[in-house]
Amino acid sequence: MKPKTFLQGAWLVWHRQRVVWLIYVVTLLLAFLSTRGVAGRTADVLNHSAESVRLVHGFDVGALIELGEIPDSPLAGQSAMFAAPAILMLIFLIFVAGGALATYYRDESLPFGQFFEACGEHFWRFLRLVIYFAIAMIPVGILIGIASAVEHHIDETAVSPLSAFRFSVAAGIVILLIVMAIRLWFDMAQVIAVAEEERAMHRALRHAARLLWNNFISLYWTYLRISIVAMAGFGAALYLWMIVLKPEATRLAFFLGQLMILWWISTRLWQRASQAKWYWEYRGSEVPVKPTWSAPSPVEDAAAPVTPA
Amino acid sequence: MERWRKRMLLIAASAAGFALVAQMAHVRAMGTGAAPEQQAASKSAQAPGGAKAGAKAAAAGAASNNGATSESASEAGKPLSTRVVAYQIEAKLDPSKHTITANETLTYKNLTGQALDTFPFHLYLNAFQPQSTFMTETHLNGTRGQEAGSGWDKKNFGSITVKSLTVDGAGDLTNKMEFIHPDDDNALDRTVFQVKLPKAIAPGESVTFHMAFDDVMPEVVERTGYKRDFYMVGQWFPKVGVWWKGQWNCHQFHANTEFFADFGTFDVKLTVPQDEVVGAAGDLVSSTTNPDGMKTLEYKSEDVHDFSWTAFPHYTVVEDSWTGSAGTVKIHVLMSPGNLAIAPRYIKALKGTLQKYDEWIGPYPYDRITVVDPPHGALDAGGMEYPTLITAGATWWVPKGALVPEVVVEHEFGHQYWYGMVATNEFEEAWLDEGINSYWEVKVMDSLYGPNSVFNFPFLQFSEDQQQRVGYLSLPDADPLTRPAWKFINDQSYGGITYGKTSTVLLTLERIIGEETLRKACHEYFLRYRFTHPTGEDFLKTIEEVSGQNLRWYFDQAVYGTNVADFRIDDAHSEPANWWEAEAPGAKNPDQSYRTYVTVRRKGDFVAPVNVNVKFDDGKTVTEHWDGKDRWIRYAYTGKSQVASAAVDSDHTLFLDRNFFNNSHVEKADKRAVNKLQNLWIFAVQWVSQLMAWLT
Repeated sequence: MKPKTFLQGAWLVWHRQRVVWLIYVVTLLLAFLSTRGVAGRTADVLNHSAESVRLVHGFDVGALIELGEIPDSPLAGQSAMFAAPAILMLIFLIFVAGGALATYYRDESLPFGQFFEACGEHFWRFLRLVIYFAIAMIPVGILIGIASAVEHHIDETAVSPLSAFRFSVAAGIVILLIVMAIRLWFDMAQVIAVAEEERAMHRALRHAARLLWNNFISLYWTYLRISIVAMAGFGAALYLWMIVLKPEATRLAFFLGQLMILWWISTRLWQRASQAKWYWEYRGSEVPVKPTWSAPSPVEDAAAPVTPA
Repeated sequence: MERWRKRMLLIAASAAGFALVAQMAHVRAMGTGAAPEQQAASKSAQAPGGAKAGAKAAAAGAASNNGATSESASEAGKPLSTRVVAYQIEAKLDPSKHTITANETLTYKNLTGQALDTFPFHLYLNAFQPQSTFMTETHLNGTRGQEAGSGWDKKNFGSITVKSLTVDGAGDLTNKMEFIHPDDDNALDRTVFQVKLPKAIAPGESVTFHMAFDDVMPEVVERTGYKRDFYMVGQWFPKVGVWWKGQWNCHQFHANTEFFADFGTFDVKLTVPQDEVVGAAGDLVSSTTNPDGMKTLEYKSEDVHDFSWTAFPHYTVVEDSWTGSAGTVKIHVLMSPGNLAIAPRYIKALKGTLQKYDEWIGPYPYDRITVVDPPHGALDAGGMEYPTLITAGATWWVPKGALVPEVVVEHEFGHQYWYGMVATNEFEEAWLDEGINSYWEVKVMDSLYGPNSVFNFPFLQFSEDQQQRVGYLSLPDADPLTRPAWKFINDQSYGGITYGKTSTVLLTLERIIGEETLRKACHEYFLRYRFTHPTGEDFLKTIEEVSGQNLRWYFDQAVYGTNVADFRIDDAHSEPANWWEAEAPGAKNPDQSYRTYVTVRRKGDFVAPVNVNVKFDDGKTVTEHWDGKDRWIRYAYTGKSQVASAAVDSDHTLFLDRNFFNNSHVEKADKRAVNKLQNLWIFAVQWVSQLMAWLT
C-alpha cells in the first residue's frame, strides 16, 4: 500500500478544485431547475398561509400529508422531478470524466478549451464503458437475487427476526465490496484510456484487470478507506442536520446540505484522483506520457519574406 | 394493525426515511412452557371468568336490550351481562397439519320474547377460500394486509367444517344445516349457515346445540392463522348470530367487516403439544398432562362475547399487574423472539391506558388482560382485539420516537370498552367502535405521551389528531359514517371514514360542546350501554342529553351525511379609500384612509358557524361571526390601517375542515416553509443524481 496515493489523491482534488466546482454547479443547477415548478406551486399555497409555520417550527408530517391531499395539491407529480436530473447528471458525468482524469493524471489545471476537448475525446469511450459496466453488474444482480431468496427463506423459517436481518447485513456488505471491486476495475480502465490514449475499451479493461490482479490490496484498500471516510463525513453531517440544527435554521440547513453534496462529489473524485496518481507512479515519471490532445500546429505567415539561399 | 392505520404510518415513515435503533431491556420475564399456566392454575381458588366483586358493585344499573332486568349495586356476584350464550368447547391442535379438531356445546337462552325455530351461525374461517364473499371483495377493493387486485394464494386457505350437529330434544340435525347468504347473491359463500329446529324454542327456554367441527387454519391472513409454529386462533368456532331489533343479525364475513355476538360464558379446553406456550382470553383454571404427552388447558371466561387464543413455543411471558377502581388486573404479555425489548413499552402504554379509561370512562371489570406480540412474518395477526386479549405488533428495530407499539396497544385495549363491553354491531355500525376508540386514542395518547404522540423525533413530528384527520382527508366524501362496513366504496374509504373521520368528527364536537362535556357524555354512554348492543342513535342521543344541546344540524352532516367542510379566505386586501386619485410611488400619507375587504367562502358543503379574525397593521383585531349558511360573505372596513392578516376558524374549531392552508391569508409572505421544502427537495435531487456517479 502506498499511503501517499491516498493523501496525494486528496491533495489533487483540493489543488484542482475546478473539477469539483464544475460538477457541483451543474448538480445544483439541475436540482434547482427541476424543483422550481413544485416550489412555485407550493409557494402559492404556503407563503401567505398562517399554517405554513407547522413546517417551519419542527416538521409536522401531518402538514406535509395534508399538503399532498388537498384538492389541486401542489405536490402532485413531484416524483418526476427526480428522473430528468438523474439522467442528465449521468450523461454529464460520463462527459466530464475524461477531462477530470486528464487533469488529475497530468496534475495540471487544463485551460477550459483543452479540458472540454479531453472530455469530448473520451465521451464515447466512457459511454461504452458504462455499458460494459452494466453487463458486468449482471452477475451482481444475480447474486442479489440469490441473496434475496436466501434471506426470504431464512425469514420464513427462523424463529428470530434477527437471523434474516443479520444475513441481509452480511450479504449486503459482501455485495457492496464486490461492487466496489468492479467499480475500481472500471475506474482503472478509464485512467488507462486517458493515460495511454487507448481507444479500445476492451483492451483498457484487460490491462486494468491485470493491474488490479497484481495490486489488488493496495488499490482496494485506498478505495475502501475513502468510502469509509465519505460515509463517516456524510453521516456526521446528517446527524448535525437532523438532530443538532434547529428546525427553523433553513439557511444553515441549506448550507450544510450543500456541504454534504460537495463532500459526496469530492470523495468520489478523490477515488478517481488517487487512482490516477497511482497509475502515474506505476508508469514511472520518466516514461513520456502522450498528451491527450493534439499540440497546436505552427501558423505559417504567408507575408513572411523568403530568405534567398 | 388496522389496515388504514398501517397505510398512514407507512406514508409517514416513508416521509421520514430514517430508522434508528433504540434498545433497552429491563423486563421481568417468566419462564417458558408450563410455568405461566401452573401459576395461573394455582390461583384457581378465585372465581373463574374474571369478574371481580368490586367490579360487579361498580357495574350497577347495567341494562340489556334483550329484556333482562337491571342489576343492583348491592348484589355482588351477579353477572355483569345478560348471558344469552354458554359455550363449552374442547379443541385439539395438530401443528403438523395446522388443524384444530373440536367439539362445541352451545346453550342458547331465548330472551327474545318470541319463539325461535331457526338459528343462524357464523363460520368465519370459511371466508379464506377463493370463492367466498370475503375474498371476492378483497380482490376487488382490498382489505387490511391485502391490496386490491391481489391474487389467491392457496397457503391462505382456511375452513371450518361442521361434521355433525345435534340438538337436545331434536336429535341429529346435521342434514338440516343449510348455508345462507343474507347480504349478497354469492351462493358459494360458506360463512353463514342456519338450522331449523323441528320444534320452536319458547321464550325464556334454552336450547343446547352439540357440534363437532374441524378447522383448517390458514397461513396468517386477516387476523388469524399460523406462521411457522405460531398460532393466532380467532373466529374459529361456530358462533350463533344475534337476535337484534326483532330479527336475526348474522351477516356474512366481508372484507371490511368485523364481528357481532352475544354475551355469555366460555369454558374452553385446549389440547396442545407440551412445548406450546398458550395465551387465551380467559382465566386458566386447570392444566393437565395427557398420556399421549400433550397437555390440556382449561380456560373460563364470563360476560364476554368471544374467545380467542394463541399458541407458540417461543413466547417469553412477561407478567405485570395494575390496580384500578375495580381491583387488580393481571397483565400477561406474550413476547415473540427478538422483540423482548419492546415489552416495557407495551406495558407502560397498557397501564397508562387502563388508568385513563378508569378515570375517564369507567372501570375495567375483568381481572386479566393478555397482550400477544406476533412474531415476524405474522404481523397480520397483530392489531386486533378480542375480549380480554389483544394482539399488538412491533418490529425489533422500531425506535422510541416512533410510538407505533404504544399506539397499537392503546387502541386495541380501548376496544375492550368500545366493542368488548359496549358491544356494538361492527358489521353495520363500525364507526361506533373503531371511531369512538380512535377518538379516545387521541385523548389517551396525548395525555400519556404529549402532543406528538405518533412520531416524536427532533427532525419530524406527527400528532395523533393529525393522523386521524389526514386519514379521513384521503377520501372524505364517498361514504357516510353510518354506512354498513361492507358497503363502502373501497378499503381506503372504510378505513379513512370509520377511524379517521369519526374521530375527527368527535374532535370537532369536543370543540363545539366542550371537551369535558364530551367526556362526560362518553362516560355516560359507557355506563348506560356496557354489556349491551347499542346503536349509533343511542350514542348521539346520549351526547345531546348530556350536553343539553340540539346537535342534529351537526350529526346530520357529519355522521349521516358526506358533507365536506372547507372554508377559505378568498381575498383580503386593502386599498386607498380614494383609489381614483393616483398616489405617488412610495408616498406615505399619515392621513391616508383605507378600505379593507375580506371575502370568506364556504367551498365545501358542510354548513357550520365560524369565526373570522381580521388583524390590521396597527395591531387592531376584529372578530366576526358568520353562520356559514351562504356560500360567501364579504366584510369591509374603513380606517387608517391596512389588513395584516385574515383567518377563518383560526383555532380549528372545525377540525373537519379539509384544508387548513386556505383558512388564512397573511399579507406579508413567509417563505420559510417553502424554502425549507425546496431545500429538502434540492438536496434529495442532488443526492439521487450523485448516486449516478457510481455508474460512471
